[in-house]
Amino acid sequence: MTKPSEDRAQASPTKQFFVSMLTRDISLADAILDLLDNCLDGALRLVHGAQVDYSKHFVKIEIDGDHFSIADNCGGIPRDVAKNYAFKMGRDSDDDRDSDAETIGMYGVGMKRAIFKMGRNALVRTRHDEDTFEVPITSEWLDAKNWDPLPINEPSEASENLDEPGTTILVRELHEGVARHFGNAAFENEVRTAIAEHFTMFLQWGLKVELNGEPVLPVRVEVLVSEDEDSPAPYVFQKTIDDVLVSITVGLNTSKSSGDDNEDDAGFEGDRSSSTSGWTVLCNDRAVIVGDKNRLTGWGDGIPLYHPQFSIVTGIIEFRSHRADKLPVTTTKRALDTSSNVWLESLVKMKEGMRIWISYTNQWKNHPRADQSRYWADARPMPLGKVIAAIESRKLAKKPDGHIEFNPLKAKVLPVPDEKKPSSRRIVFSRPIEEVRLVSKMLFDDQEEKPGIVGEVCFEMQLVKARKQGD
Amino acid sequence: MSAGSSLPYKLRPNKAVDRELFLSLLMRLAPSFVLEKYHYVGLGGPFLEDFRLVHARLGIEKMTCIEVEEEVHKRQLFNRPIASIECIHSSLEDYLDQTDFDSPAIVWFDFTEPKGITSQIERFARTIGTVPIGSILRVTLNAYPSSLGSPDPRELSVEVDGDASEDRSHKPTIQEWRLARFKSRLGGLFPSGLSAEGMSTKNYGASVLQVLKLAVDKEALSFRDRQIFWALATHYSDGQPMVTATLVVCQTDDETTKDLIKGWEFYSTTDDPHRLDLPAISTLERLTMESTKEPEKKMGFDLPRSGMGGDPLTAFKKYYRIYPHFSRIEL
Repeated sequence: MTKPSEDRAQASPTKQFFVSMLTRDISLADAILDLLDNCLDGALRLVHGAQVDYSKHFVKIEIDGDHFSIADNCGGIPRDVAKNYAFKMGRDSDDDRDSDAETIGMYGVGMKRAIFKMGRNALVRTRHDEDTFEVPITSEWLDAKNWDPLPINEPSEASENLDEPGTTILVRELHEGVARHFGNAAFENEVRTAIAEHFTMFLQWGLKVELNGEPVLPVRVEVLVSEDEDSPAPYVFQKTIDDVLVSITVGLNTSKSSGDDNEDDAGFEGDRSSSTSGWTVLCNDRAVIVGDKNRLTGWGDGIPLYHPQFSIVTGIIEFRSHRADKLPVTTTKRALDTSSNVWLESLVKMKEGMRIWISYTNQWKNHPRADQSRYWADARPMPLGKVIAAIESRKLAKKPDGHIEFNPLKAKVLPVPDEKKPSSRRIVFSRPIEEVRLVSKMLFDDQEEKPGIVGEVCFEMQLVKARKQGD
Repeated sequence: MSAGSSLPYKLRPNKAVDRELFLSLLMRLAPSFVLEKYHYVGLGGPFLEDFRLVHARLGIEKMTCIEVEEEVHKRQLFNRPIASIECIHSSLEDYLDQTDFDSPAIVWFDFTEPKGITSQIERFARTIGTVPIGSILRVTLNAYPSSLGSPDPRELSVEVDGDASEDRSHKPTIQEWRLARFKSRLGGLFPSGLSAEGMSTKNYGASVLQVLKLAVDKEALSFRDRQIFWALATHYSDGQPMVTATLVVCQTDDETTKDLIKGWEFYSTTDDPHRLDLPAISTLERLTMESTKEPEKKMGFDLPRSGMGGDPLTAFKKYYRIYPHFSRIEL
């Protein structure tokens, strides 16, 4: 039997651990998105559960070789929250700020992690109602071994005030790699695209996000819907699972199928599917994943792997809950927790929806897109919410237990090709362009006809001959 | 050169100005870069005109001319104006994949085909990391928006200055249609926020250059030993609009070259290319414009404008020193 001694083993975490471990789990672009998430959570808290008018809010982001800044007018941080929670590494169990709002932050690491990811010197200035103060996080504090609380400073000059309630974060002393990225136009474009995709709903509701002075425009993820009862429509499913409202739709998007296009780049390099084909996953209006074409969202798992033929298929799934911890997202908010029940149950329905459209593209694969476009003439692209509102009224959509499920195949509203020939086979071959031009000139008196058309006409001519001989 | 060789080869004054601008850049860099030791790689077309000029102005000995079409290749061997030009029957891409440069190079990616613009841009961008530091890379890309395809007019709506056709709400305009095509062709290279306005004949060149810049910047992030400077960008049209851009691959800490390039009279970047859209003009018109302060009054007519939005007189004033003069010679 041992007995207690006077000695104690240190078990407190080091700053080094937090700073280097936390920041490894997140990409630079995601760190910026995390800060934007915080702005939106702020806007939600302002209305205490009521509808937010996002058009009243702005977020201005600057990225540059020597600094990063983000400024919003989303209410700011209350002083007691700053004193007790906001700058802690991790969320306290007694922090119950968000029981009435569909916020997404839950671990209390986003802001700190983003700051440490970028640099070693930050200033958080905030105004909540009429109370303005700032919290500096300096490299000296980072290097110190102790966990002294951060200072809270009051403004002493007019320039240190903020015009309206909100928060401004300024990061300097950027890490070397970060500075290179922030000064690079391609990285700026990547961040802009990520914001346009992940915050598409908020941007569509009027939220103004500026990146380096230029407004960010939303990327619309939409599927085609006809409002007419007997016209083609996407697959739809909506049900509450484990306190989470799950809404799914799978349908056609407006991009052109790459399968029927002679002039596109040939070979693998020609496969450039639009970013919104595949699956988009929304959690409380944030797009967690946009245009996923991997096993994660079911591709290659009981259905075929993603292929350019499916680039016209778009699936959207949304999870909505007041309880952030019920949503199937990870701490970075840009990845899914695929072991959760709500995800697994939804995946079955996602695959059911996908199968309908995979077989649809198979049926139409040897037909030009123009042949099917007449069936879709009065179809309009719509986002998920509108799709469900439009389909809900169809007579087959409501199920006895209250959930919504509409299968266009079962409802027999999907068009089939007029003369569908399952025996059609594809002929592909290549010849030098000089020879193609020679044949093209002979057939069309124009040496620049598309090689595909030249080849097809050659086959037609031989077919006529072969049929004659057969007589 | 496949499309170039089959296009009707009329007089191309703007292409000639564009080439002179490039040569002028090389002349500026020649003393400090010791360009005569460089390896020049390009697509010469049947007459290898560019090679003749590069050799004459810069004294470059080591030159390689690449050609995919066999008959044109044979013709090049016949027409070869300087013995030191090596003519190779290959695609430029294959040649670059199989070549390790032992001296810095000047490579001109003369892509005229509108198809495959994405792989062309990616190929150019990728090369910035594979050539020796000091190399100069130049690309020509097709900037003809109709090359994105022409939809059935019945699938389109029209909107001009707020006046719109009845079907505007559910059909795209030609620009919107092109934007969707452009986006699906480019995939991840698409510049976020690019609008349908960027798809008009006037603006499409700028949009293509923006994509090029993003692709190159993205590639540049992966290299710490080098940085790139854009030195010359042009948007010209002799029939089909084209854009060109030239960059210099420099050491990371090289500030001297930056100043040398920025101080050049025709320094231009992908954000603001030179617009070259001079019409073909007569000898008398040229002499009048050169020797008169207000030639428009004396001439009493307007020169034809291209769809690229520039004023031909202003353009002439800017480039008259390098504007070519074509006249007929009987042999």
